[in-house]
Amino acid sequence: MISVSPKTILDTTTKIDLNNMSAEQKALDIKNLDLYYGDKQALQNITMSIPKGQVTAFIGPSGCGKSTLLRCINRMNDLVDHCRIEGEINLHGENIYNKHVDVAALRRKVGMVFQRPNPFPKSIYENVVYGLRIMGENNRRVLDEAVEVALKSAALWNEVKDRLHDSALGLSGGQQQRLVIARAIAIKPEVLLLDEPTSALDPISTLTIEELINDLKKQFTVVIVTHNMQQAARVSDQTAFMYMGDLIEYSDTNTLFTTPHKKKTEDYITGRYG
Amino acid sequence: MNKWFKSGSPWIWLSAGGVSLSLISVIGLLWLIASRGLSYFWPAEVYQFELLDQKGKASTVIGEIYDRESIPSKQLSHLELNLDPKQETVERLLVKTGNRELVSLDFRWILVPEITKQSTPEKLVVIERRTNGNFYGYIEEVILDGKVVSLEQMPVLLERVLEFQEEIEALQKVDIGAINYQLERLRLRERKYKLSGDYTAQKEQDISLKVAQLEAEYQTLEKSLLLLREKVSRDEIKMKAMDGQIVSINFADILKVSTNNQMNLFDKLGMFFSQIASFIVDDPREANTEGGVFPAIFGTVLMVLLMTVIVSPMGVIAAIYLHEYAGNNALTKLLRIAVINLAGVPSIVYGVFGLGFFVYMVGGSLDQIFYPETLPSPTFGTPGVMWSAITLAILTLPVVIVSTEEGLSRIPSAMRHGSLALGATKVETLWRIILPIASPAIMTGIILAIARAAGEVAPLMLVGVVKMAPNLPLDGNFPFLHLDRKFMHLGFHIYDVGFQSPNVEAARPLVYATALLLVTIIVALNMTAVSIRNKLREKYRMLEH
Repeated sequence: MISVSPKTILDTTTKIDLNNMSAEQKALDIKNLDLYYGDKQALQNITMSIPKGQVTAFIGPSGCGKSTLLRCINRMNDLVDHCRIEGEINLHGENIYNKHVDVAALRRKVGMVFQRPNPFPKSIYENVVYGLRIMGENNRRVLDEAVEVALKSAALWNEVKDRLHDSALGLSGGQQQRLVIARAIAIKPEVLLLDEPTSALDPISTLTIEELINDLKKQFTVVIVTHNMQQAARVSDQTAFMYMGDLIEYSDTNTLFTTPHKKKTEDYITGRYG
Repeated sequence: MNKWFKSGSPWIWLSAGGVSLSLISVIGLLWLIASRGLSYFWPAEVYQFELLDQKGKASTVIGEIYDRESIPSKQLSHLELNLDPKQETVERLLVKTGNRELVSLDFRWILVPEITKQSTPEKLVVIERRTNGNFYGYIEEVILDGKVVSLEQMPVLLERVLEFQEEIEALQKVDIGAINYQLERLRLRERKYKLSGDYTAQKEQDISLKVAQLEAEYQTLEKSLLLLREKVSRDEIKMKAMDGQIVSINFADILKVSTNNQMNLFDKLGMFFSQIASFIVDDPREANTEGGVFPAIFGTVLMVLLMTVIVSPMGVIAAIYLHEYAGNNALTKLLRIAVINLAGVPSIVYGVFGLGFFVYMVGGSLDQIFYPETLPSPTFGTPGVMWSAITLAILTLPVVIVSTEEGLSRIPSAMRHGSLALGATKVETLWRIILPIASPAIMTGIILAIARAAGEVAPLMLVGVVKMAPNLPLDGNFPFLHLDRKFMHLGFHIYDVGFQSPNVEAARPLVYATALLLVTIIVALNMTAVSIRNKLREKYRMLEH
């Protein structure tokens, strides 16, 4: 398994003041972000900072814009017609919406896992090395090693090590989702975006993935969207509650679930709507 | 009853009925073509009929029964037959009598009431000849170099002649053909030098030296050819025809001597298959009414393959642009409608377009730029196999575009997003993910294109098909593949043999046989493509989410 350095343990246990983070602590800095689908505004003036090496969860009712916000971070919304974005998202102090930003390079730094497992119709091995091959890496030994490391990090190695060259489509749903995570981390991104990664999975697979997320934050900054509040409470360090395109409340998970400051947050987590 | 309607059973019956009707018509078509076509190869019994006509004149007819039909007696009233007045129909037989040098028509109708005796003598032989069709009759004597020898010698003599014939053919087609080709090229080079004005004495000497060399080679080849011809025509056979005339046939003319009436089932089967084989591998003879169809098979397959090579990349690229890059606006919609409508344009229109645009405009310009030395005789400015392939490629382009686009739109967006999220650009995603997954759909388009192109004849008549091509488009002379040559095509061959031949009765079974072959080739081409597609499908099978 992954070797855990003392520093990463220190990082995860230190409490962070979300409003007063140093530049080094910040993984992402979202400033005054507005997003429009045609004439309809889907995100309104979102400002938040996401800390490095921690798990941040976005929760909220369906259609609140949490997935949209997540997809802004690696510019997947560029693929949507008539989508317009104002404001900035800074990664290392540089706005990813600047004109000269190489989107492909950005997406290598900000990996993403989707709601439904989407392995390519290739072998397990080829799925994992896909990102590396895109980057021009063709050295067999480097690829072999990367596959082993990525699959071990995604807790899938023991299940598939004997059939790496079989089709990835023969795996179960939970295994496929872990394969997709392995594929995303094989190119060593800085940030990993998870868009409701367990919503299509059974409870056991969900549990495996949640444990995996806990391990992943030692290496990556994880941002997860979930509609399952228990899941957010279990896996995240910070939680943001969104409603109708607004960021209502953003604080550390414990505070948000035990002593929410806003009425709307309280209503939502106590199940009054959503 | 109402309940029965509601249950949906009538619709199931109706659709099942539709399926069976389609199946029956397809099977019926294949059965008709196969039975008529294959009977052409079956060695038939040779009959000897003794006839006595109404004037009391006796005659003998020898031949194969081709057809049998009943006609109304009234139609024959002018013949003053002694018929029972109550008899309404008379049966008559169509007999292939061959012996074209003796009678003008090698088919004749005989009336069944006139037959006094019908037999199948074992000594009757059928001689298949290079010219003048079959000869039916009895062997009188075999003559070896002017001396009569025993009949048993015949197979040995025949074997010897066939060997020489093969040598002659090789000499004519390969060796002498190559020399002629080189001479022609030298002549063109000389003309090219003259046109460009740098025809120096040195070059002139070079060329005339080479020409002299080739001429000398030609002389020796011609000598050996003449020698072979002499050897081949040494022996002859004397035959007695049905009317008692004695005809001598040179061995050089004989392809095969068979005694059909002595054959048992296995002999017949053997001959059946050997006839099919020679139909497939031989060149046509006697204005396409005899011999094989090899050049037509070759031309059809080559043209279809060329067409596939041209249409696949063009169609796929067009579909990718339309689906992936072109904006989703009115212009794109219009373009798409135009593409779909192109598929409905009658094929002869493509032929006219191909002739006007490709052959005359493009080909004419190519000739002026690259082949000025051959002018005024055109190289590419005349119908040829390349223009046929390109014309059919345009004809089948819509099919490939439409199926590729359908394949592209069936790919779940999760695949694209997955690839893009890993830092792939759009082009990389296309190459590595989208195109492989869409490949079965692309293959479907290619299959449909092949099916359409292989059966298309009308446009080809304008842009490259001929009744008889002297050379195959592929041979041993550099540059080996001669795209400017005209070619033969099975579809056109059917039309030519069936409707343009001087001997319609003789050609009819040939039409079915050629049709059967064409169907077989198209099915074979399709099956190859289908099996490739199925392999791809298996490989890129999408998991049902």
